Amino acid sequence: MGDKTDVWQGTLALMVLKTLETLGPLHGYGIARRIEQTSSNLLSVNYGTLYPALLKLEQEGYVASEWGVSENNRRAKFYHLTKAGRKQVEKEARQWEEASRIVARFLTPGEER
Amino acid sequence: MRRLRAVLLRLAGLFQKERRDRELAEEIESHLQMHFEDRLRAGLSPGDARRDALLRLGGVEALKEAHRDRRGAPVVENLARDLGYAVRTLRRSPGFTAVAVLALALGIGANTTAFTALDAVALRPRPVQDPDRLARVYRSTPADACGPMSYPDYADYRDRSRVFSDLSMLAFGMAIASSDLSAESAPVAPRLAGTIGFRLPQLLEGSARPLGSAFVSGNYFRMLGAVPARGRLLRPEDDTIGAPPVAVMGGNFWQRQLGSDPAIVGSTLHLNGVPFTVVGVTPLDYIGTAQSVPELWIPISAKPRLGMTRAQLEDRRAMAGWVEGRLRPGASLADARAELDVLAARLRADDPQADGHSGVTVTSGRAYAPPFDAATWGVIATTMAAVALLLLIACANVACLLLARAAVRRKEIAVRLSLGATRARLIQQLLTESALIGLLAGALGLPLAWAMMRLLIVEVSSALPSYWGAIALQIDPDVRIFAYTLLVSLATGVVFGLAPAWQASPPDLNAALKDEGRALGRAPGRSRLRDVLIAAQIGACLVLLIGSALLLRGSQRALRAEPGFDTRHVVIIEVFDPARASRGPARWRGLKRELKEAVGAVPGVSGVAVASRPPIGGGQRWVAVAEAGAPAPPAGEGDPPAIGYSYVSPNYFETLGIGVVRGRTFIATDAEAALPVAIVSEATARRFWPGEDAVGKRLAIGRPGAGHFAGEEAPLCASCEVVGVVRDVHGLQLHKPDDAFLYLPLPETRPGSVTLLVRTEGDPASRLPSLGRAVRSVGPGLPAVAGVLDTMISFDPHFVVARMGGMLSSLIGVLGLLLACLGVYGMVAYCAARRTQEIGIRVALGARRTQVLGLVMREGMRPVLAGVATGVVASAAVGRVLSAMLFGLSSLDVVSFAGVSALLFAIALLATWLPARRAARVDPMVALRYE
Repeated sequence: MGDKTDVWQGTLALMVLKTLETLGPLHGYGIARRIEQTSSNLLSVNYGTLYPALLKLEQEGYVASEWGVSENNRRAKFYHLTKAGRKQVEKEARQWEEASRIVARFLTPGEER
Repeated sequence: MRRLRAVLLRLAGLFQKERRDRELAEEIESHLQMHFEDRLRAGLSPGDARRDALLRLGGVEALKEAHRDRRGAPVVENLARDLGYAVRTLRRSPGFTAVAVLALALGIGANTTAFTALDAVALRPRPVQDPDRLARVYRSTPADACGPMSYPDYADYRDRSRVFSDLSMLAFGMAIASSDLSAESAPVAPRLAGTIGFRLPQLLEGSARPLGSAFVSGNYFRMLGAVPARGRLLRPEDDTIGAPPVAVMGGNFWQRQLGSDPAIVGSTLHLNGVPFTVVGVTPLDYIGTAQSVPELWIPISAKPRLGMTRAQLEDRRAMAGWVEGRLRPGASLADARAELDVLAARLRADDPQADGHSGVTVTSGRAYAPPFDAATWGVIATTMAAVALLLLIACANVACLLLARAAVRRKEIAVRLSLGATRARLIQQLLTESALIGLLAGALGLPLAWAMMRLLIVEVSSALPSYWGAIALQIDPDVRIFAYTLLVSLATGVVFGLAPAWQASPPDLNAALKDEGRALGRAPGRSRLRDVLIAAQIGACLVLLIGSALLLRGSQRALRAEPGFDTRHVVIIEVFDPARASRGPARWRGLKRELKEAVGAVPGVSGVAVASRPPIGGGQRWVAVAEAGAPAPPAGEGDPPAIGYSYVSPNYFETLGIGVVRGRTFIATDAEAALPVAIVSEATARRFWPGEDAVGKRLAIGRPGAGHFAGEEAPLCASCEVVGVVRDVHGLQLHKPDDAFLYLPLPETRPGSVTLLVRTEGDPASRLPSLGRAVRSVGPGLPAVAGVLDTMISFDPHFVVARMGGMLSSLIGVLGLLLACLGVYGMVAYCAARRTQEIGIRVALGARRTQVLGLVMREGMRPVLAGVATGVVASAAVGRVLSAMLFGLSSLDVVSFAGVSALLFAIALLATWLPARRAARVDPMVALRYE
């Protein structure tokens, strides 16, 4: 566990949004698990920060929540993307790709020229 | 947009807390369950699975807290909580709160009032169009650099100057309206002013009510850019000799006396019997460049219709009125000075006999008052410093209280820190408390300032005779000044709230929790800062109290000082004749004689003298005097000294009880005699003929071409025989006998008002109604003012300033003393309470009560002594500044210094003794068991 990387501040929101885009409505635990699985368990989500982050996204209007029943017949709060959220995923993904491309160029000089 | 939405939702999150908390708990619970089941499926034992789930989730309470912070707006929430807590804490100690809030409110209120008044009088631009371009122009002579100007001089400057777009003149005067317009409502007796001890002569009962009138040049309103409330204002064509007589009514008079009757415009008003057409009304409170709101505005060229002769108006020697001009765009005050100097030189060349070196003085006309000279600024600065000291005392006091409280709450704060509160949160909470005190004080200080302003206005207005016009200074409390003082007190609260918050959140929680402060031996707490604050308060207080004691003793001395004549039994009646031109000089002479006879016949009157002015107060006149036959001083060497003079009737000296030292007094024929005579004061005799007998010597009085007041002649006599020498009096200034004074025989033909000095038996004030009836029986339409000489003595400006200053600063000083003593008491009581255990041990080990008492008191009095020492030194400096207003009292007056210091010391001693005694009475058993 110790050598797992914590999710960086700021990227958690994007991961949550992307997860919801891919999988549709999902509860908090599901989102956390999915992020860990997608990263091949290289990332460790701090559950303590997940819920405030979800609340923030909800306040900003990117996600909405409602109570539903989980696959194990358990009452759980399900989050889903809103229209604004969909746009935000696209926007943030684009920004992120751009940023990582730029960083990549710095890290691998000479390849371009 | 998203941000705003989030903020709004977060504010909404402040509500429905319980439901949201429940939902979160449920969500966490379902999360844990799902995690638990996952782990079970992964093959963990139920115990391990649960443990793993809990571990991965981390601190549930921390998660909830983070969620809550995100959900609501923690800043708002915390502030609300802090405010609630602060209100509860302050309510728990109402004494502390009341003292702190009241102290600050007084400081804020007094400062707002004082600085607003200063601003209104000296700094704020006058409410006229573009006041920065206004300039005051004075006639300047060696005797008076800022004097009024003659009408022809003014007209010359106006016509020749290129620097001013308009140069205007304003003169004050009175007019009698013949209708019942001028009926006077019941006179308001001056209240505070009377008790303080200065009173201006008021209209005599039954007197005609003159209208305070401003005589202005035709371009006056154009220069100021004034707009009428009704009709029109005066125009240049109204101000020509022979123009139809018109007048503009002041808005205040129109409203008060005419009920804002719109029909007034176009109607006819008889002034001194002459019909004037009212062409317009000024707005309410319109003051122009006058000192108070005039009741009528009349063209200056109409003066010959209202009692002055045309020759008098066009007399180049007569000081007719005050000149102000509007500078053309691009012209500066310096340009105006340069141009007017040239014009003045040309005028002098045209008129070689004109007053010595008369030129012009040009100053800014921006503010209500002309720019002050250094001496006036000194007085103002002293007053403002006194008021600022009060704020300082208040702030120091609040700081002391806050420090003492912070020390008491050390333990509470330590407990809260150890329970996980952050330092920032604690400081925020303590600051909320001190800011709340500041805000409460501000909320109380603003109405306080407003009330003080009203009181000031009402008092000043009621002290002025009504025909002087209404006071219309814009002196609502100034928002900027209020904000500034509020800021100062808030800053005090914050700074002194911050220090203890910082100190009280020490890194070493253990020590604080164990209450190390109660350790034996040293006085607990950080007393250094508190000691300095106490000393500062005591010092500031002492300065205020000694200053006020000096001023009060000085003004008392002025009241007690024998001015050299009888004041207690003499009533002054001054009778004007605004319509003397239409009446004719012979009729006025007759009226004066009849007045004197009628007043003399009133029961209880034992003598009536006549003079050109009262022996003290206003109407002072000076004239150049030299020994007759002495060679004229070479040009540029300065004029012969100007000496104050009065025209008096033969019985003047007898009526006022002024002793004749040599020679004789006047006789009835002196005034008309071929050989002019004069009587001089002892000081005058000493000045001209030291060691010789003055009787029989000759004086040259006046110079041809000397300036004089409009409507009267200056004395002029090449060789005047001195027939008598009388004792010196304090006629010009209360605090010292006149350097020199000259008496001339009063001719019956002298124009102008008549001053009757009436010697009465018994209480002179009780004779006023019958005297008023006597005046009315002779001249029903004549305005007359009257006052008892004794109360008018205090009309001396030095006296007024000293008395008012003394009263004010003693009031402030007593308030400060009260605050400082509360501070001392609080500090000693607090320190003693903190040392209850130590004292108990000392007593148990055999210390005597007196020793304990001494111990506590020594510590309490140490800062007091330091404060007294500092205060005495500072007061000595203040005394030097005040010395001009002390009427000869030494600025190091022993009674003031020793008396006040001893008094303050005694009060401080009492303030320490009370809590010290309580400390010494501590039962050792109780003290040792204490906590």
